[in-house]
Amino acid sequence: MKNIVEVKNFKMRFGNKIVISDLSFEVKKGEIFGLLGSNGSGKTTTLRALLGFYRPTAGELLIDGKKYDPEDSSVVVGYLPEERGLYRKETVIDTMIYFGELKGLKNPREWSMKYLKRVGLLDKVNEKVEKLSGGQQQKIQLGITIMGNPKLLVLDEPTKGFDPMNRKLLMEIIDELHQKGAAVILITHYMDEVEKLCDRAILLKDGKARAYGSIAEIKKEFGGKTLDQIFVEIYGGEDE
Amino acid sequence: MNNMIGKVAKFEIVRQLKKPAFWAAAILIPLFIGGIYFISFVFGSEDVNMNPTLDENTKMAITDEAGILGPEMGQYIINGDKEYGIQMVKNGEADLYFYIPADFVESKKVDFYHISEGLDLFNYDGNIIKGILAQNAAMKVAPVDVISLMGDFEVVDNKLAADGEDANALGKAVIPIAILVVFFMFIALFGNRFLMATVEEKENRISEMILTAVSSKHLIIGKIIAMLVLGVIQIVVLVVPILILVFLNRDNAMVSMILNSIEIDPVAITMNLILFVASVFLYAGTCVFVGSLVSTARDASSFIGPAIIAMVFPMYFMQLFMLSEPGAIVYFLTYFPLSAPIALMLRSSFGTLGTVEFTIGLIEVTICAVIAIRLAVITFQKNAINFESFRPKFLKK
Repeated sequence: MKNIVEVKNFKMRFGNKIVISDLSFEVKKGEIFGLLGSNGSGKTTTLRALLGFYRPTAGELLIDGKKYDPEDSSVVVGYLPEERGLYRKETVIDTMIYFGELKGLKNPREWSMKYLKRVGLLDKVNEKVEKLSGGQQQKIQLGITIMGNPKLLVLDEPTKGFDPMNRKLLMEIIDELHQKGAAVILITHYMDEVEKLCDRAILLKDGKARAYGSIAEIKKEFGGKTLDQIFVEIYGGEDE
Repeated sequence: MNNMIGKVAKFEIVRQLKKPAFWAAAILIPLFIGGIYFISFVFGSEDVNMNPTLDENTKMAITDEAGILGPEMGQYIINGDKEYGIQMVKNGEADLYFYIPADFVESKKVDFYHISEGLDLFNYDGNIIKGILAQNAAMKVAPVDVISLMGDFEVVDNKLAADGEDANALGKAVIPIAILVVFFMFIALFGNRFLMATVEEKENRISEMILTAVSSKHLIIGKIIAMLVLGVIQIVVLVVPILILVFLNRDNAMVSMILNSIEIDPVAITMNLILFVASVFLYAGTCVFVGSLVSTARDASSFIGPAIIAMVFPMYFMQLFMLSEPGAIVYFLTYFPLSAPIALMLRSSFGTLGTVEFTIGLIEVTICAVIAIRLAVITFQKNAINFESFRPKFLKK
């Protein structure tokens, strides 16, 4: 199977409100895929349905050919959600070991120490999370996301709130995992990131796909405009 | 146990055990109880007359099979045997009856009978016989008189009910009530902890990250198991010092009086132990259900309050539960799901819970516990990524 993600005829309704109507797309193994759209276009809802937080009103959302089961060790998914935090009262190392154990790492302590050394937080090992700065906490969240060599990385606005240093680190890590063969779904409002990183993308508006394909195909469809210009054309007049 | 449940439970247990607040709560309560015990022992013992004398309005009867009392006690000595003396107490002809057996020198025991409502745990009237025997022995010294003079014998307290039935209601209720007290402490100590454990992921915005690593069902079950294990640890920390304190003071008159009055009632103890286990799960399920409905501990505390009040409500009607014929309120509290645990345990302790009612009550509590835990798992799953404050519509206005 060459697709890591398959979304087929996905519909999502909350009460009377239709959030997603008949959405289909695939993410190929090893590619970086941009899930784009303005606020409220259904990006996060799609990811949450893909990861089993929402039950779809209709359609199928599959990861590696099956519905996502967090405890299926054959499909490790690293998810950095838009709403993210940590156990504030726990120490850095205890938090990382806990997530490492849940994600099936054989030696979570060793993995965590290596990661903390890499991101310059080795001296914070026994600090409580609440004592760390926002940027340091982001590094921990990122470490938890990439634990266990995920086959699929799902990053919902990963650079939101990241300082430039952490943004650079994130890009390096995405690139590393991509080199190892992981697929990445990236939700972002930064079109420069999409142009630089993504192989293919889908642009959502009101729960429907407005453009889908490789970045070159999308640009061609819109008469060779840049992604920024395409974005403005599709969502022009909407409140961002 | 499922591997993931075990990992969640281990994390929750270890991090709680590392918190000073856990140990403070566990140790401060026994210290507080010990403090009260110490104060009442040191200052309160002056108020308790442990060597009372016979007052002129009290009618006393003695059967002296050992033949050790002199003629000056003749007015109290009866010719009848023990049964006759007991009957005198039941009939109201005597307030206090002492039976000195023929083998007093060997047994070193005097039986004491008196009317009791079952609540006079600290009754020292039995010691009257010690004064009488000491006074009697002072006049003539024989081996038997040495025992009397030294007061080196036991006065066995036999309480009789006003209607003539043998009674030691409170003595039989001590251990079952102790089980109830442990459950009460569990409610007091663990309600907040259950809520915090349930809302923590939502409050700290970790739900989405953790639920891609473990299912919500296993996460919540792991948390419930962890809280129950912590409950057992905390209760052991609480109870052991009390038991040690009692053991070290077992020769103290007041303590030995209490210990002697304790009667093992295997039926009531078994009933309360079974009810305790089912009730703990009902309480855990209720707390976790409330916690899974809301997004913050603050929201949760305003909803769990009424549930806790409903659970401890029977305690306010303790007197009604002590009546031999339960009334309508007692029956209502027995079968209302949230008040059922304590109501059933109280009735079992005071001997008014039959096997049929116990079985019905246990089934009800168990079914409610299963429903509460099931609801908690479903609600947690549905609300895991709902970060908005929960308010029912009528409160929003």
